[in-house]
Amino acid sequence: MRNVKHKRPKRPYKDGKRLSEKYKNNVFRETYTFLYFKKGFVYLLFAIPVVTQLYPLLWLMLYSLKTNEEILGGSFFSFPKVFQWHNYSEAYKSGSYLKYLSNSVMVTGITMVFVILLSSMVAYAISRFRWRYGNLVMTIFLMGMMIPMQATLLPLMIIFKNMHILNTHMSLILPYVAFSTPIAVFILSGFMKSIPHEIEESAFIDGASVYRIFRAIILPVSVPPVMTVCILTFINIWNEYILAATFISSEKLKTLPFGVYTFVSQYSVNYGNIGAFLVMGALPVILIYFFLSNQITKGMVAGAVKG
Amino acid sequence: MKVLKVPARTIAVFVLPCLLLYVCLVFAPILVSFYTGLLQWDGITTAKFAGFANFKDMFLHDPVFWPSVKRTLLYAVASMVEIPFCLLMAILLNRYVRKGNTLVSIYFTPVILSVVIIGQLWKTIYDPVSMGGMLNGVLIFLGLDSWTHNWITEPKIAMFALYAVSLWQYFGYHLLIQYTGVQNIPDELYEAAKIDGADGFKADRYITFPLIIPIFKISIVLAFIGSLQAFDLVMVMTAGGPAHATDVISTHMYNSSFLSFKYGYGSAIASFLVILCLVFTAGINTIFNKLEKKFS
Repeated sequence: MRNVKHKRPKRPYKDGKRLSEKYKNNVFRETYTFLYFKKGFVYLLFAIPVVTQLYPLLWLMLYSLKTNEEILGGSFFSFPKVFQWHNYSEAYKSGSYLKYLSNSVMVTGITMVFVILLSSMVAYAISRFRWRYGNLVMTIFLMGMMIPMQATLLPLMIIFKNMHILNTHMSLILPYVAFSTPIAVFILSGFMKSIPHEIEESAFIDGASVYRIFRAIILPVSVPPVMTVCILTFINIWNEYILAATFISSEKLKTLPFGVYTFVSQYSVNYGNIGAFLVMGALPVILIYFFLSNQITKGMVAGAVKG
Repeated sequence: MKVLKVPARTIAVFVLPCLLLYVCLVFAPILVSFYTGLLQWDGITTAKFAGFANFKDMFLHDPVFWPSVKRTLLYAVASMVEIPFCLLMAILLNRYVRKGNTLVSIYFTPVILSVVIIGQLWKTIYDPVSMGGMLNGVLIFLGLDSWTHNWITEPKIAMFALYAVSLWQYFGYHLLIQYTGVQNIPDELYEAAKIDGADGFKADRYITFPLIIPIFKISIVLAFIGSLQAFDLVMVMTAGGPAHATDVISTHMYNSSFLSFKYGYGSAIASFLVILCLVFTAGINTIFNKLEKKFS
């Protein structure tokens, strides 16, 4: 085989090279203009939703800082001549904003604590104990995810009336906890199944009780899914309106969404004040979202994908 | 797999508190409402057992019921319309933008707001221009004066105005779900496809679409079930008015039980809603399971 030489041809790919040289500039220019055009189009496609999703919120901000005349006569985009900050102070004084806010904080907080405690216990039992009805319990919880909350409004009202807890925070917290547990149990048990059994075993051999293992090992390890559950529960419960509007009637027990609704529907003299109250109503959750947007979006996706 | 074997008492301690609360407050009420659906009851006088009279009324004589079912189903279809568009945007975002997360978080902002805020905000946006409504202002600015409407008080278009708000609010949600799904497809697949000569939308056709189906299904189910249960937004914005033009199943149920005090009748509608939800969830799941099998 030695005498067979692999001689490189002097001008390799003669035609090809010439061809490419001939068309090189043309082809490239066309591709680039096409690419630029395509890119421009794509960026426009991304920019439009930014405007449509954010501008209404910005518009509400501007709205809340205007006088009545500016609102009624103004166009869809105009800055107030003078920022009417007193809209906010008036809205703050005439509605009981702080009361609503603290009610919301309390109801949501208590709900979250109970959801995490109760659902992590069930999730632990479903994922780690050997017992006959584990799957059955899971199925019961899964079925609950498909049940619309409003279908239980009337029966719950009757039940609570008989228990004499209608128009108390109890009547909100109980159903909130109940309706938040299915998804929480689902997420948590999915995670707990993946915790290695060796940890538990060695703790068991060292003499730790099941409760101790749960408290000292399982719960600390499960912080990430617990955060997901926290976020989902927070967003759902903080914004919940219908149950609050049906079960609560005293002014001093209203949660923020219901409070905002009553303020807006009763107070229709000064548009700026209404706008201000809406902004104040949105503010807590917007602030939280501003600082935790990554965690919140991740949590919401996890909730959706697993649910 | 080794799983702890513990005494029944321990299991009870772990499971019962949550399970009892859950069964008492979610399952029992549903069963109760199946039962009260059979009663003639206004909540004050003693209830009379009426058999299936309520259901018969509902299906045959109630002029509001079937239109409200139609609107609910339309709501469900309308809210699914944007999902393919969201998927397209998610694919483009993944391809052209390095930090797509920031954009997606911006789109997502309306999702975290309460329906009360969203509803009131859009009510003011839909206001006639003399009351400072934004949408009509934009239309006049564009020279489309004839398009201006009293968006949520005109019976013919009020419902579409509500669909639009839902689409607006949940756009970011579906985009986020699809985007996460697209991001989770391993890059190696696209690289391999590129070597084989499949690029751009050809690669999407053979890689992205088949792999995204489970995620797509999630979006569809969420949108569908969410709109079957659509309630609070309609309550906040129109409460079913003008003249029942925006009544969906849930608002019809609410108005019959809490405004007309027909507890039995309201419960019958509630039972119908629960069954509808269960049937449709099961239906969508079977359809998508078949689709997945076909593609993989």
